Amino acid sequence: MSAIEIRDLGKSFGAVRAVDGVSFTVEPGTITGYLGPNGAGKTTTLRCLLGLVTADSGTALVNDRRYVELPHPLTEVGAVLEATNFHPGRTALNHLRVICAAAGLPPERAAEALEQVGLGEVAGKRVMTFSLGMRQRLALATALVGHPRVFILDEPANGLDPAGIQWLRGFLRHLAHERGAAVLVSSHVLAEVEQIVDNVVIIAKGRLVRQGSLAELVSNGDTAIRVRAADPGELVPALERAGATVVQSDGVLRVTGLDAERIGRIALDERVVLTEVSQERSDLQHVFLELTGEGETS
Amino acid sequence: MRLIRAELLKLTTTRLWWVMLAVTIAYALLQLGITIGFAGVTGGQPGAPAIPGRDTAPFQELMWGLGASGAVFPMILGVVMMTAEYRYQTITSTFLTTPRRERVVAGKLGAGVVVGLVFGLVVLALTAVAVVITVPLAGGELSFTGSTARIVVGTLAVLMLYTLFGIGIGALIRNQLGAIVAAVAWVFVIEAIVSAIPALRPVGRWTPGGAATALTNSGVDLGLGTDWLLPAWAGGVVLLGYALVFAAVASATTLRRDIT
Ligand SMILES: Nc1ncnc2c1ncn2[C@@H]1O[C@H](COP(=O)(O)OP(=O)(O)OP(=O)(O)O)[C@@H](O)[C@H]1O
Ligand SMILES: [Mg+2]
Repeated sequence: MSAIEIRDLGKSFGAVRAVDGVSFTVEPGTITGYLGPNGAGKTTTLRCLLGLVTADSGTALVNDRRYVELPHPLTEVGAVLEATNFHPGRTALNHLRVICAAAGLPPERAAEALEQVGLGEVAGKRVMTFSLGMRQRLALATALVGHPRVFILDEPANGLDPAGIQWLRGFLRHLAHERGAAVLVSSHVLAEVEQIVDNVVIIAKGRLVRQGSLAELVSNGDTAIRVRAADPGELVPALERAGATVVQSDGVLRVTGLDAERIGRIALDERVVLTEVSQERSDLQHVFLELTGEGETS
Repeated sequence: MRLIRAELLKLTTTRLWWVMLAVTIAYALLQLGITIGFAGVTGGQPGAPAIPGRDTAPFQELMWGLGASGAVFPMILGVVMMTAEYRYQTITSTFLTTPRRERVVAGKLGAGVVVGLVFGLVVLALTAVAVVITVPLAGGELSFTGSTARIVVGTLAVLMLYTLFGIGIGALIRNQLGAIVAAVAWVFVIEAIVSAIPALRPVGRWTPGGAATALTNSGVDLGLGTDWLLPAWAGGVVLLGYALVFAAVASATTLRRDIT
């Protein structure tokens, strides 16, 4: 049983096709990064999954049920969403007490969850005094109160400082890899989640562009090594004799089939000065950058 | 039940409820004061005084029914109980916790009953104090008749039902300012017009204000007549009907909208 299953999901806002036939699953014990540029449809997908937005077509299930059919949703799913907010005049602790009361959870969970996200000391402060990062932590505490095993997080790193992001990464890893939770985390910044995700789903303009395990996507095909040399004319035949495939453009050699050390030794033997040896960007980064319009114009 | 508790907790963890209660108390004191001040005073023309004398039984009945006119304040609180969720975007976590949206409204209506009763009891307590002090001072005899009891219950009902009415309007009109303006305009403008024009009275008795007047009708005619009103119980049913119809229509329309 997949913890999250999205099948042929579609949603339009007027003429805008926000989500267009997206399908993917998230398994327990794994972290899936849901990536795409601004306006790709990430938030819309997650809100459909959580029953906040009604999909036009397809299904979005959590633990094999639609979210609205879950008898005790907070004990199964923890969610952090953009454009969620808190009553400015209510304290952090009271915000969580209200949620515990409505969800039928024991009231002491409120304080515990605040401790868990490092807000224990400001539990009695009104939310209006909170910084963006503190609000984000409070949102995370809201997701944790029910001890759920499925997490749906929309850009959870927004507003967090580097230490906070580091903490969040460790925390999500702990949830998925030690407690067996299924985590779906969206981001428009690959670097933010690249270090923690097991699987990646990339969408752009509402359509699924690529999905698979991180390992799969990164090792997709041989990664090339970029080489610049003072005298490429002599180097290329030598590399090819050693079994490499070399593609030359604008004085840059894209070498596949040899690692950097071998290339260096061959250059030494041929007495050619190398001015650059670098690993090409992984396929994942390539795809993502092209989608976000930041790809190299080569 | 737990949703009602959660809604009451939402109210008591923010400040608005006691601001509204303070305003309601101030308004009740003002009304009691004016009524006491002008009791038995004869106008320019000869004839019976507009407000019965302090020593009379009708004066006491009139006093007991005054609280109902402060119902506009718990009504506004009712509106805000609903619209604040959209205004502060707390609706997302509310619906994540309780994805069956009509249950959220039901919980708020349940909490509204409690809120309305609390407001009603406070206003009635103030009235009791005012009556118990003024009537003996004027040499009258305190009386608490069946019709007084009916007015007291009616006042409680009006404050409670107006709170629900507010929640219903808030569910229907998500915009806070829009909903408050609509509710207040209804109570003060439309109601006033309808009850002032005799020809509109057949309509007027079916309006929330007409229904509320039926509930607290003391039989003292303050110039607008009383015989056009519905019976008290029917007034209560009509008011409750407004709240429930609004909430039901909202559940089928506004409430279903996407939360983005
Ligand atoms: N309530 C709405 N009304 C109209 N259009 C909307 C609404 N919500 C989203 N859209 C549109 O749907 C598309 C997808 O938006 P969505 O918020 O899902 O993107 P996203 O991937 O979350 O982007 P971001 O990275 O900026 O958060 C966008 O074109 C957006 O303009
Ligand atoms: Mg988004």
